Order: sequence, then C-alpha cells, then structure tokens
Amino acid sequence: MNDQVNEDIEIASTSIVKQSARDFAAALAETPQFKAFEQAAYAFRNDQTAQQAMQALQQKQQSLRPLMQLNALSNIQRGELMELQSSFTSQTVVQEYFSAQAELTTLCQVLGDELSGAIGLNYAAACAASCCG
Amino acid sequence: METILSPTMQVATNVFINNLMASEVFVRYHQSQTLLDHDSQAQALLNQLSQTQTELRKKQTDNSLSKDEIESLRALQVQARVNVVIQGYSDAQQDVIEFLREINEEINQLLGIDFASFTKRSGCC
Repeated sequence: MNDQVNEDIEIASTSIVKQSARDFAAALAETPQFKAFEQAAYAFRNDQTAQQAMQALQQKQQSLRPLMQLNALSNIQRGELMELQSSFTSQTVVQEYFSAQAELTTLCQVLGDELSGAIGLNYAAACAASCCG
Repeated sequence: METILSPTMQVATNVFINNLMASEVFVRYHQSQTLLDHDSQAQALLNQLSQTQTELRKKQTDNSLSKDEIESLRALQVQARVNVVIQGYSDAQQDVIEFLREINEEINQLLGIDFASFTKRSGCC
C-alpha cells in the first residue's frame, strides 16, 4: 500500500530541497531586516568602546555568577553590575544592534511559524541540539 | 505590528515548504503518522502509556509510588517499543528531525546565523 502511495507522489530529491533552502536563505538575506542586522552587527563588532564595555560586563557577570545563582549579591556588587550593564546598553551602537536583532527575530519567527505549521513540528525545537540548547 | 512577508520571501518560503514536504523523509513520516492514527491497538497502547505516566508522576510527587507500578510502566514502555507501527512512526520522526537539522545548516551557512534559533518564540523550547 505504501509503495502504491509512493508511486503516486512526486518525491523531491535532497539536492532539490537543499537548493530551495538556499533560495529561501537568499531571499531572507535580501530583506531589509537582515541587511539592517548585518550592518548593525558589523558596526557593533567594530566599535571598540562597545566591545570593551561588553567584555567588562561579561567578566563581572562571570566573577559574580556563583553569588548570583545563590541570589547573594551585596548591594555594592549589584550596583557595580548595573553600572556596567548600563554603560554597555546605553551605547547607540549596542541599542541599534539589539533593535536590528529584534526586528530580524520577528521576521524569522513569522517564517518559522509558517514552516512549523506546514510540517507539523516545531522547527526551532526540532533543529535544537537539545531542550533549550 | 504584523510582519508582512514580501512577495519574493513568500514565494521562496512556499517553494521551500513544498519541496520539504515532498522529500522522501517527510513523505515517509506522514505515511507513518497516518498508519499510527488509524491503528487502534497502537493508539490504545499510547493512551494507556500516557495515562499511566501521568498517574505515576502524581504518585511520585506524593511519595506513594510502588515497585509494582514502576514495573507496570516499564512493561508498557517495552510494549510501545516493540510495536511496529509506533516504532515506525518514532523512527520516521527521528529521520525528519535529522533532515531538518541538515537543511537548517544549509540555511545557516548562507546567512551566517543560526536561523532556527531566530525562529524560536520565548519560553522553554
């Protein structure tokens, strides 16, 4: 019975599916959202002040992680962390990067919903290495 | 604000979806799904397994789970594993997941981002 069904269905080869995936990616790369994200990411990567602010924040977060997990930060430590966060996120290049990322995410979510709806599986979850991975 | 896809993006999405659905792994997956949906024995077994899991989870929380109950759950799990229709569906689903990851990688290579991560809605998985 399955063979009969297969005979009636036109099967798309893996190379055809991969080509249409690349065409899909090329169309996405041409959207204003993706172009804006690429530009913002480039500007962010090449902004020394923003990179230094990010590194300082990450180093502080890393050193305070055990205390943060225990919710045992002192007021001084919390203040230091907030100051570093603020000096990072207040920069225009960082704000533009996050804004472009959010715009691209919204577009990708719409595309992901279309894919998930059609295939009957959650696209993001199926492609993830593991839960929340 | 609602995001409206450009005609080019919509066409590319539709072609991609159509080809994905027409791929061998997806055709087999949907066939195995149809078989599972129409197999009353497999459906009954899955329902029983699901109900038992729910009941035992509650009992586990209450610390009132017995060894016999764990054994009965294991027996059901074994029955599900050896059921040809359930196993066929499970294998086909695994193949689809592997195929999707391969296809997603194709997209990622062109875009330089993990496309699947960007499609994720907030909340766990």
